[in-house]
Amino acid sequence: MAKCPVCQQPVDEAAAKAQTGMTPGGAKEVDPKAGTRQFHDGTWYYFDSLDCRNRFTRNPEGYLKQAAP
Amino acid sequence: MEFAYTLQQEALRREVRQFIKENVTPEVAEEMDMHAGAERPRGQGPKAAALYKKIHERGWLGITYPKAYGGQGGDRITQYIVEEEFTRVGVNISLGGSGAPAIMAAGTEEQKQYYIPRLIKREISFCLGFTEPHAGADLANLRCSAVRDGDHYMINGQKMYTTAAHASTHIYLMARTNRDAPKHEGISIFLIPMDTPGITVRPLWTIQNNPTAPVSTTYGAARTNETFFDDVRVHKSCLLGEENKGWRVGSMGLNLDRVGASRYLISVRRDEDIVNWVKNNAMDGFTPGKDPAIRDKIAELWIEAQVCRLMTMRSMSIVERGGKFTYEGSAEKVWAPEHGVRITEAITQMLGPYASLLRTSPHAIEDGVFGHNVMGSFQSGINHGSVQVMRDQVARRGLGLPSSRKSGKVEAR
Repeated sequence: MAKCPVCQQPVDEAAAKAQTGMTPGGAKEVDPKAGTRQFHDGTWYYFDSLDCRNRFTRNPEGYLKQAAP
Repeated sequence: MEFAYTLQQEALRREVRQFIKENVTPEVAEEMDMHAGAERPRGQGPKAAALYKKIHERGWLGITYPKAYGGQGGDRITQYIVEEEFTRVGVNISLGGSGAPAIMAAGTEEQKQYYIPRLIKREISFCLGFTEPHAGADLANLRCSAVRDGDHYMINGQKMYTTAAHASTHIYLMARTNRDAPKHEGISIFLIPMDTPGITVRPLWTIQNNPTAPVSTTYGAARTNETFFDDVRVHKSCLLGEENKGWRVGSMGLNLDRVGASRYLISVRRDEDIVNWVKNNAMDGFTPGKDPAIRDKIAELWIEAQVCRLMTMRSMSIVERGGKFTYEGSAEKVWAPEHGVRITEAITQMLGPYASLLRTSPHAIEDGVFGHNVMGSFQSGINHGSVQVMRDQVARRGLGLPSSRKSGKVEAR
């Protein structure tokens, strides 16, 4: 279980990537309620909401520093 | 100089209008409408398919594309007349935003032979994979990477606001192929089927989704998407144009996409709506058409709409004669959406609180279309190149002002 680097809420990476449907064009679809992710500096980070993801995009280093143990 | 359509062109317009009257029934229009349902692919229902087949049989799809690629080999004024009439009733026959202009300009013969006829017949459709969380207005900052591996590329990263990704068969993807180059270089364009393993679509719901905007709302889609790429392996034949020259291909394609009637007509439809409404309605004993302030504003908007029309025709004229087309599409992309915002603001002032009511209100005018347009009109100034970026292009390419661009490398993916 990952932790949202912005609000610290747990995020299930498998659920965020799990296929819940397929587009008519054949792409995998996922459940938007299961969180989202962002590829930053070689690593995928998981977020519980788009709002947290947007905050992270504006200041990734600040949130990663804050989230560091 | 004869500043008018020829008799043949006027006859064509009448023919198209008659066709629309006979074939674009309310049932067909509802299915065709871009906001009729976020989960239903736009224009891909059975009624829409039958309509497009008829339009194709009349020779009105892909008018300006060569016959060798399934087009009609016609001129842009003909395309404009037909497109203007169909756009007015919400039927999109344009190939703008489809990737087709860029494929014609930069594609291999094989790519043109495969994609153009299928795009014209609406058998396939592209969504645009450009914007990223780190790269919106500053698109050259994109980090989605495509790493060469023999005859293939391995793609990893993500895209934002990939409108119609949930309804398209292909994506027109901009990715970084050289991380050591200055950021405007080292970018390439790929044409990729959406069913390639590793592509994931996540819905993003917009302000137009709840309640869903009514039929004939012009601005804003109910759904857009995030699109993820996890080890997506594509053959090198998916590359459009030369490797690392994608910035030029993409910019040229976007600029050419802006040529045509649909860009300005989305706003002109609103002009026509409010003129018709003011002519034919009264509110609580008040006849808007008799109010001097309203008449003045409507005349002002009509003049603005004519500027949109003339800018569009100028762009078409330049492209038609093979002239240098650099900033003109950008100028249109500033004027048309900002005109659209001014229309919605003016309608709000004219109709007062009624203009803000959405379709769920029992007091909504015209099924709430004006209220939904107020919410959605601002999107058109952002998508497909924001008006701020367009102004910068006009300043640099049109007026020769120096670039303020920083051409540093992108430091991280």
